Amino acid sequence: MDALDTAKLSPREDAAGDRRDRLFAAMDTVNAILLGKSPQVQLAFGCLLARGHLLIEDLPGVGKTTLAHALATVLGADYQRIQFTSDLMPADILGVSVYRRDQEAFEFHPGPIFADVVLADEVNRATPKTQSALLEAMAEGQVTIEGRTQALPDPFFVIATQNPLDLVGTYPLPDSQLDRFLLSISLGFPDPEVERELLLSEDRSSVLARTQAVLSPEDVRALQADCARVHASDALLSYLQALLAETRNSRWFEVGLSPRAGLALLRCARAHAFLEGRDFVAPEDIKAVFPGLARHRMTVSHGMEASVEDQVAGLLRQVAVP
Amino acid sequence: MKTLRHNPMAWVIGTLLVALLPQLASMPAHLVAITLAPIAWRGAAEIRGWRPLPTWLRLGVTLATLVVLVGTYGNLLGRRAAVGLLSLMLALKLLETFRARDARIVASLSLFLCATQFLFTQGLVMVAYGAACTVGALVALALIARREAFAVSARPAPPGRGVLGELGFGARLAALAVPLALALFLFFPRWGSPLWGVPERSLDAKSGLSDSMAPGTIQSLFMDDSPAFRAIFDGDLPRRQDLYWRGPVLWEFDGRQWETSWMGRNHQAERLPDPESAPYRYEVQLEPHERHWLFALDYPAVIPPEANRLSLDYQLLTRRGVTRLTAYEMVSDPGFIDSPTLRNTLRGMALALPDDFNPRTREMMERWRAETDNDATLVRRVLEHFNQEDFRYTLNPPLLSRHTVDEFLFETRAGFCEHYASTFAVMMRMAGIPSRVVTGYQGGWYNELGNYVLVRQSDAHAWAEVWLPGTGWTRIDPTAAVAPSRVERGALDALDARRYLFDYEWLRNVRNAFDWVNRGWNDWVIAFDARRQSGLLGFMGIGRLGTRGLVALLGLSMLVAGALVVPWLWRLGRDRERDPVVRQWRRFLARLRKAGAPVTVAMGPLEVAHAAAGHPGLDPVRVSRITQSYMNLRYASRVEDREILLRELKRFRTRSET
Repeated sequence: MDALDTAKLSPREDAAGDRRDRLFAAMDTVNAILLGKSPQVQLAFGCLLARGHLLIEDLPGVGKTTLAHALATVLGADYQRIQFTSDLMPADILGVSVYRRDQEAFEFHPGPIFADVVLADEVNRATPKTQSALLEAMAEGQVTIEGRTQALPDPFFVIATQNPLDLVGTYPLPDSQLDRFLLSISLGFPDPEVERELLLSEDRSSVLARTQAVLSPEDVRALQADCARVHASDALLSYLQALLAETRNSRWFEVGLSPRAGLALLRCARAHAFLEGRDFVAPEDIKAVFPGLARHRMTVSHGMEASVEDQVAGLLRQVAVP
Repeated sequence: MKTLRHNPMAWVIGTLLVALLPQLASMPAHLVAITLAPIAWRGAAEIRGWRPLPTWLRLGVTLATLVVLVGTYGNLLGRRAAVGLLSLMLALKLLETFRARDARIVASLSLFLCATQFLFTQGLVMVAYGAACTVGALVALALIARREAFAVSARPAPPGRGVLGELGFGARLAALAVPLALALFLFFPRWGSPLWGVPERSLDAKSGLSDSMAPGTIQSLFMDDSPAFRAIFDGDLPRRQDLYWRGPVLWEFDGRQWETSWMGRNHQAERLPDPESAPYRYEVQLEPHERHWLFALDYPAVIPPEANRLSLDYQLLTRRGVTRLTAYEMVSDPGFIDSPTLRNTLRGMALALPDDFNPRTREMMERWRAETDNDATLVRRVLEHFNQEDFRYTLNPPLLSRHTVDEFLFETRAGFCEHYASTFAVMMRMAGIPSRVVTGYQGGWYNELGNYVLVRQSDAHAWAEVWLPGTGWTRIDPTAAVAPSRVERGALDALDARRYLFDYEWLRNVRNAFDWVNRGWNDWVIAFDARRQSGLLGFMGIGRLGTRGLVALLGLSMLVAGALVVPWLWRLGRDRERDPVVRQWRRFLARLRKAGAPVTVAMGPLEVAHAAAGHPGLDPVRVSRITQSYMNLRYASRVEDREILLRELKRFRTRSET
């Protein structure tokens, strides 16, 4: 996009330019680890930059963990993985206070949630109580344990995964909780060529082990601030509203998107535009993030055959861009 | 004041004022004041932000106004009084008009008030007036709706269009109704005479000739340049001095006033000239004058269907007053001899004089009678007397008292047609020659543009007829003996002075040119009655239609008219996009689609560029330049290149188009 010629940028924005260059380098790195998934990687980065959390709905073994780990690595961030099981307790996530006899005081042992990037694997296997402990932490950016409020790190990025097929012994997240995830993506099986490349090249974990951090947490915070400044014009807001209105009026969907979802959509679109190298949001950004945003928030009307994905795609084909 | 431009209230008040104009012009001064007062108050309230008056005060004002109105008109039954009531109540309504609902009512009723003015006059000026009211009311209603819409949405209202822009918008809305109006005009079933053709003489009787002539009756007409009628001749025009348009014939003289006679009005003419040999053929388009005469040149040879009868003294009379433009075909024969023999009753009527009036004239006429041997010589002698003594033609004669003829003949010697005709007829009767006074119009102005003769109220004239053996009733115009130019060139040229300020030749010419336009309006619009309607239908190849057939045709034509307008409205409603860039962008997309590129309106500019890329029918450089700068304008809000983009979008053509 020549609109973002560096020549046009003021010196103050030089630092921002460097930051963005490092961001693109980070994305390249992740793409080199997770082969053939660059749209999903971009969405994941967008989700991070939009200060949201990511939900990956997919089968085991398609690279969810690799993505989370790679992200954490390039961000130079602490990485924790929590395997959710039915006997997982909130304290297992948040941490516990242990009485230290020698100091005659309780000492807080932070749980795995006190990390920059948290992978909550198979989040729907835990009981609702445990789920809500995680989700509240995601929403508030802090946790309250035994009356004391502990701030979580910033950036704080949760990647949760769900296995859509495995329904036995699970506690599906209610709609209100799903809303806490900014985007939901699915990775899907790799293309044959990509899969061949995967089979031929070395093990992903050894690649990960060699990977260096490209961005710092400060960079991420600054980039998040940069994203929030991306311009959204009147025309674009009209388009966004037209989409929201269509989800609410269309008979294909049970309920339409909430105003909170609308705000989330704008945040995602800003991040997406930023990742596209633009300083303004284009309708295409909205379209790129809309399926990921709508998928887990909407259900198809009762009796409709088509999937949410198909309906959302149809919606995007239908609503005129102003 | 700037804010007033887009203030609906200002437009409502303006529209009401325009709608009131003709009404104000014909109202007594105190009613004008009462009507304007609440309007002025409301205007001031809008500017100063005053609060509405308390209810009791409004009620009191309304009742008081009603009392004044009834006091002025006597009752509220007449046309004028009813419209006066409507005007006043509408003006008073402004006192409580502080909400959109009331403003809407006032704007709509202003249109109704405007429509009522057509009860009084249907001239071409009324078209401009009606258009002004319609446009004003439409703008007011639109502004009210706009203000309401944005009050609900809490968004800031877009900047208005300015006065001219609003007027243009109103005119466009009004133009939308034109096809429907035309359909209604052409095919609405017509009655023989319009429903509102009810004569009313109470307050605003039309000026024109009357069935009596007292000193000064015709004088008021000289000031009035409004058209009396127009005559379109087939073939050659008669000479100006032959254009005597016959109106009321006056038999009875009471010493001061001449009147028509019952017998003259109610007995039928005994014979008619032979229409075959009559030389003058013409059509008269008579303006409404609310009296019973149709005017024709001497002597009418046919009785048109519009007339009820041709009287004994050859007046064409209608049963009802002429309340609307009436057109009739006429044939006249000037060589016809009226009454070769005179019945005794009529001779008695034509010689009757009141006693004890004008002794000096009586004495003189008896002397002259003795000196001359036949009637024709005596007539000539009297005319010579008028011609050679110092009689003057003037529109401002001195007043006459009891012995009008004596005073005129021997003292004042100044007057106009009415004096001369009356004096001459009295002198003839004193000499034993049967005589009567004929009033009507003389001359007329030949309009070259339209090839017709326009006769105005100021052409009103009075002359005398004497009965002579051999020639029957013979027209004698004593005015011509005094001021030949009156007859040869018209009343205006017979005067040296202007009648009033602004009485200039060129202004009269302008008016005459305008009269030609007005005549067309009369001819094509006002006179479009049942007869012309069926003529038009015949022209269109549709035979005689009953009312039911007409209604069906009307419905059909309204459907057609609707079919012309509705798609436009529908497009307007659907394509609410006002931004020309976006409109052009849509057109650009349509072009790409036509060229085969799979673009849709649901695509953003980047997608469009992508979809159009590499398409053989499109210039890739131009497409990408357009999509790029469209995106910059719309989404990056970089407005610098807006005009360039607009031009580029307008100029864009696919390869197959160039």
